[in-house]
Amino acid sequence: MATTGLNRLRLARAGVGVAGAGRTGVRRSPNRGAFTLLVLIAPSVLLLVLINAYPLVYGAIQSIHRGTLITTGPLVGLENYTDVLADPRFWKATVFTLVFTLVGVFGSWVIGLTLALLLRTKVPGGPVFKVLLMTPWVVPIVVSSTAWNWLVAAPDSPLPTLTRWLGFGDALFLADPTLAAITVCVFKVWVSFPFMMLMTSAALASVDEGVYEAASIDGAGSRQKFTHITLPLISRSTYISWILMTIFCVNDFPTIYLLTGGGPVDSTTSLIVLAYRTVFQDFQTGPGVAIAFIMTIALVAVSTVLYRQIRKVEIA
Amino acid sequence: MSAATVPLSKVALRGRWWRFAVLLIVTTVVLVPVLSTLLLSIRPGTLTADAAPITLANFKHVFASSDVAVWLVNSLGVTLATVVVSVIVAAPAGYVLSRGRSKAVSAYSLLLFLIQSLPAITAIIPLFILFAKVGLADNLIGLVVVYVGSTLSVATWMMAAYFDTIPQTLEEAAWVDGCSVFGSFVRVVLRNSLPGVLSTAIFAFLLAWNDYLVALVFLKSSNVFTLPVGVQGFFQQNQTDWSSVMAVAVVMLLPPVVIFAFLNKYFSVGGIGGSLAGR
Repeated sequence: MATTGLNRLRLARAGVGVAGAGRTGVRRSPNRGAFTLLVLIAPSVLLLVLINAYPLVYGAIQSIHRGTLITTGPLVGLENYTDVLADPRFWKATVFTLVFTLVGVFGSWVIGLTLALLLRTKVPGGPVFKVLLMTPWVVPIVVSSTAWNWLVAAPDSPLPTLTRWLGFGDALFLADPTLAAITVCVFKVWVSFPFMMLMTSAALASVDEGVYEAASIDGAGSRQKFTHITLPLISRSTYISWILMTIFCVNDFPTIYLLTGGGPVDSTTSLIVLAYRTVFQDFQTGPGVAIAFIMTIALVAVSTVLYRQIRKVEIA
Repeated sequence: MSAATVPLSKVALRGRWWRFAVLLIVTTVVLVPVLSTLLLSIRPGTLTADAAPITLANFKHVFASSDVAVWLVNSLGVTLATVVVSVIVAAPAGYVLSRGRSKAVSAYSLLLFLIQSLPAITAIIPLFILFAKVGLADNLIGLVVVYVGSTLSVATWMMAAYFDTIPQTLEEAAWVDGCSVFGSFVRVVLRNSLPGVLSTAIFAFLLAWNDYLVALVFLKSSNVFTLPVGVQGFFQQNQTDWSSVMAVAVVMLLPPVVIFAFLNKYFSVGGIGGSLAGR
C-alpha cells in the first residue's frame, strides 16, 4: 500500500479514537454542586453495595465454610476450592465452558460481521432484513428454547425428520452427548449474532468512505481493504464486543439449562450450570459458591487483558 | 466480501441480487424457530376441536386452564417497576459519571465494569439467603430489587454516554439564570435525553422480562411466578401439547417484539460499548 493510503488510514484511526472517546473537555466551576452530585449518585452506590458488594463478601465467607442455604456451617478454609479443583466434573464443565464461549464469541462475530458487511451495501430490502435479523436477540430465551426443542428434541421433530430424509439417519440432537454440545453452541450463536451485527454495523457506520477511495486509487484489492482498513478501523469496537460476549457466554445459564438442562451425561454442563446444580440440587453451598468464585476470578482476568487491549488500540 | 466494502462504486446488478438472495436465505433460516412458534400457536391443536385453518382457541384454552394470566400480570408489574426504578437510579448516577471530573468518579466507573463481569450466580446465592431472612424471597418486590441491581452498571453507562452528547454550555446558561445543579440536571439535561432514557428503559425491560435464573431461584409458588418460570413449567408439564405450549410462548413473546417493532431505533447496544471504553 502506498503512503497516501496509509496516511489516510492513520488520520482516520486518529479520528475514530477521538470520536470514540466521545467527550470534549467539559469544565465546571469547582465545588459547584459537589454535594448535589453526591446525592445524585447515592442511590446507585447504595444498590451496588446491597445487591453486588454485600453478596460478594457473603459469598466469599460461604465459600470457605461447609454450610447449607440456611446455616453457615463450620469453617473449612480452602477445602471447598481444593475439592472442586480435584473434581473431574469441574474440569469437564471448564472445557465445555471454554468451547461454548469460543464458539459463542467467534461464531456470532463471524456471522454478525458478514451480515453487517452485506447490509452495508445497497441491497433491496436491506433495512427490513436488518430488523428481521434482530429477532433472535429480542425473543426471550424461554420462548426460543421452546421453539428449538420443538424443532430438534424428539425423533419425529422437523430437523431429525429432515436429516433422515437427507439420508443421514437418526440424529439425536439433544440425546447424543457430542451432538447436544454442538446444538447448544449453535443455539447460542443463533441468539448472539444479532448483537455482533448491531455492534459491527455501528462501527462500520463511523468509518470514513474516503479511506476506501484512497485505497482503491492506490490499487488495494478488496481483500487488502478488508484486512488492512476495515478490520483495523473497527478493532476497538471488535474488542469491546468480544469482551461483552465473553461475559455473556460464561455467565449464560438459560441458553444451556433450558435446552438440555446440562445433559446428556453432563456433556453440556457449563460452570454456571454446575454451580447452580451444586447449590440448588446437591445442596452443597460451599463448593457451589467456590465454583462461582473461580469463574469470577477467571472472568475478571480475561476481561482485564482484553480491556487493556482496547486502551492500546486507542493509542495506536 | 469484495462488493461489501465498496458501497459507492458501481457494483454489477447481478452482485446486488446475489447478496439479496444470501440475505433472504439467511433471514428465512434464522426466523424458522420464531415462525414455527407463531404458526403452531394459531393452528388448531389436538385439544381444541376446530376445523378452521387459523384459530385463537389455543389462547382461550391456555388462559382458561392455566395461570398464564397471573404470570402475565406478575411479569408486567415486575418489568415496569424495574424499568422505572432503573431509570430513576441510573439517570442521576450517569449524570455524575458524565460530568464528574474526579478520581473517585473514574474509580466508580471501573467498579461498575468489574461488577458487570461477575457471574450472576455469585450474587444470587447470598442474596437468596438474605432475602429469605427478611421475607423478600418468593416475593415480587425482592425480584425487582435484584433486577434493578443487575441493570445498574449498563443502565448507568448508557445514561452517561447519552449525557456526554449534551453540551455543558446548556447547563451553564441555566446556572447563570440561578438554576441549581439538580435543577439544571432535571430541567435541561434530563429533558433533552428522551432517546437515552428510552434506550435504557428498553434495556431494563428486556432484562427483567427475559430473566430466567433469578426468577427460578427466588420464586417458589405459582401465584408469584413470572412468565419465564411459568412458561417453562407449563412446557415441562405439557410437552406433547405443542399448540398450548406455543400459545403460552407467544403471550410471552409479544411484548418485547411489539416494543422492538416500534422502538427499534433505540436499541443501541453500540452505546454500551462506547461508554465502556471511553472511561
